[in-house]
Amino acid sequence: MIILFVALPLVVAGILPLVGRISRRFLPDLLANAALLFMFVYAVAAGRPLIANGPVLQQLNWLGESVNLRLALDGFSLLMLMAIALVGLCVGLFSIDYMEHYGAKANYYALFLVMIAGMNGLVLATDLFNIYIFLEVAAVASYSLVAFGLGQDELEAAFKYLMLSVVGSAAIVVSIAVIFGMTGSVSFGAVAKGLQELNAGPVVGIAAALFIMGFGLKAALIPFHAWLPDAHPSAPAPISAVLSGLLIKVSGVYAMTRIFLNVFGLTPALSTVLMYLGTVSLVVAAFLAIGQRDIKRMLAYSSISQVGYIVLGIGLGTPLGIAGGLFHLFNHALAKGLLFLTTGSVQQATGTRNLDEMGGLAKRMPFTATANLIGSLSIAGVPPLNGFWSKLIIIIALVQAGHPVFAVVAVLASVLTLWYYLIMQRKAFFGILNEKWAAVKEAPFWMTASTVLLALLCVAVGVFFSAMIKTWIQPAAGVLGDGVQTVIRSWGL
Amino acid sequence: MIVQTALLIGLVLFSVLAVFLKDLIRAAISLAVASLLLGIIFFRLGASYAGVFEISVVAGLITVLFILTIALTNKAEEVRESRLANVIFPLFFVVFIAIDALVMKGLLQKIPALPSGPESGTFGEVLWKGRTLDLVGQIAVILAGVFSVLALFRKRDKHD
Repeated sequence: MIILFVALPLVVAGILPLVGRISRRFLPDLLANAALLFMFVYAVAAGRPLIANGPVLQQLNWLGESVNLRLALDGFSLLMLMAIALVGLCVGLFSIDYMEHYGAKANYYALFLVMIAGMNGLVLATDLFNIYIFLEVAAVASYSLVAFGLGQDELEAAFKYLMLSVVGSAAIVVSIAVIFGMTGSVSFGAVAKGLQELNAGPVVGIAAALFIMGFGLKAALIPFHAWLPDAHPSAPAPISAVLSGLLIKVSGVYAMTRIFLNVFGLTPALSTVLMYLGTVSLVVAAFLAIGQRDIKRMLAYSSISQVGYIVLGIGLGTPLGIAGGLFHLFNHALAKGLLFLTTGSVQQATGTRNLDEMGGLAKRMPFTATANLIGSLSIAGVPPLNGFWSKLIIIIALVQAGHPVFAVVAVLASVLTLWYYLIMQRKAFFGILNEKWAAVKEAPFWMTASTVLLALLCVAVGVFFSAMIKTWIQPAAGVLGDGVQTVIRSWGL
Repeated sequence: MIVQTALLIGLVLFSVLAVFLKDLIRAAISLAVASLLLGIIFFRLGASYAGVFEISVVAGLITVLFILTIALTNKAEEVRESRLANVIFPLFFVVFIAIDALVMKGLLQKIPALPSGPESGTFGEVLWKGRTLDLVGQIAVILAGVFSVLALFRKRDKHD
C-alpha cells in the first residue's frame, strides 16, 4: 500500500482542525507525530522487502474496478521517503514544545502534513505532470508555513518566496508542455522511449534548460537562489528545518535528478552544466555565508552551498558520484535539520538570531550546544561524522572521473564551510557567557530530545557508513545509474 | 489567424494592465477580461472544457471574490513603489516580444513529434481514469489553501 504515504498524512491533516477544537495541544501533537512515526516505521520495515525484487508499480483497485492511481517505489524513492519521514518526525517532535507560543497548533500540523504528503507524492510520481502537481502541493503549504508567525518579515519573505517559486513552476510547466507536444505523453516510461525514438537534441536541450531553471529555483541553486536566504530564516525553526533539510531536495534535487537521469538520460553536455552549476553554488554560497551575522541566514546560505555538492556529485553521473551525491543529500537533511532546530532552541531562549549578541551559550544550553556542534562538524566534513564520508566519496568520484580541478574546489569549499561553522560556534556557544543570558535555561524536553536524536543519528550514520551505503544508498544509486532503462524496462508502458 | 492574433494581443495587453493599473477594481476587471479572452482562445483551439473552467471560475468566480474583497476593505494610503519597475518591465517586454517574433515561429516548426499523437480519450475518461493521482493532488492543494486561509487570517485568542 504505497498510497498510504500520500493518503495517511492527507487524511490526518483533514481531521486535525476538527480535532483541534476538542483538544488544542495534546491530540494534535499525538496524531501528527503518530502519523509521521508510522510512515517512518513503514518505510524502514516494509519498504525494503517490497523493492527486494525490483521497483514496485502500484495500480489501485477501488470497489473491484481498477483506478488509474499509478505510483512507483524503487530504491531512490524509498531513500527519499525514509529521509522525509525521519526528518519530518524529528521536526514534529520538536514542534510539540516550540510551536506552543505560535498558537493554532492543529492548523500548523495540518499544513505540515499536507507538505509531507506533497513531498511523498512527488517522490512516488510516475509522470511529469504528477511531479508538477505534488510540487505545488508542497509549495502552497510551505508558503503559508513560512508566514505562520504573521510578522512583517515572515509575510514579506513568504511573498518573495511565492513570487519566485511560481516563476520556477511556470518554467517547469512550459517544459512539460514541450515534452508532451513531442511525445504525446507525460508518463516517464513513454517519454523516455519517445525521446529516444525522436532523437530531438536541440528541443530536448531547451526543455532541459527550462527544467534547470524551474527545479534550480526550487533547489535554490545559484543564480536562482534569491528567495532562500529570506524565506528559510523567517519561517518558524521547525519549518526552516524541513525547508532546508527536505523541501529544496525533494522538489528541486529529486525531481531534477529523476527526470534528467531516468527520463532524458544524462548527456555529457547536461552533466557539464550540472557540475558547473553545483560548483558555482557551493563556492559562492560558502563565501556569502561567512559574512552573515544572522545565524539562520548563515545556515540558509550553507544549504545553498551543500545543495551544490549534491548536484556536483549527481551531475558527474558516475556510479560513485551519484552514490556520493545521494549520501550527501541524506546526511545534509539530517545535519541541516539538526542545525535549524538547535538555532530554534537558541532563538527561543534568547530571543535573538544575531550572532554578535550571543556568546557562551554552551554553559547554559549544553545539550543544544553539543548537538549544534555535531551538526556543524558533520556538514563541514569532519571525520568520523556522516558528512565527511559523503564529501569524501564525491571528491574521490571527481578524481576518478578525471576532474581534479572540481575535486580541489570541493575540498577548498569544505575548508570555507568549516571556517564559517567555527565562526558560528565561537560566537554563539563558546567564549565568555554574555551577561544577558545568565538566566537562560536548556530547551524544553521535546526540543532537546529531537535535536539529540538527530545528533546521535549523524554520529551513527558516520560510524556505520558502510552499512548505510550498502542498504540504502546503493539501491538508490543503482536506479539512477541504470539511466532511462529504469523507467522503460521496469516501470513498463 | 487575424482573430487569433487579435485575441492574443488583447490577452497580453489586459494582463499587463492588470499588473500596472493602480486602481484595484480596474486591475481586477482587466484580469477578468484577460482570462475571458484566454477562455475564448481555449474554445477556438478545441479545448472546450478548459475554456468553460477558465471563463466560469477565473473570469467569473475569482473576479467576484476580488471585487467583493476590495469593496469590503478600506482604501489605505498609497504605497510608494519603485519607479524602476516602470522602466524595466516595458524594456523586457519589448525584448521578449522581439525574440518571440523572430525565433518562436521557426522554433515551433522545428519541434519534432511522434507520429502516434497524444494519448486520447474523452474528457471524462482522461480526467477520472487517466489523471486520478492528479485529482488526489488537487484535493491536497485545496486542503493546503483552506488551511492557509485558516492559519494566515487567524486571531490569537487568550488560550494561545
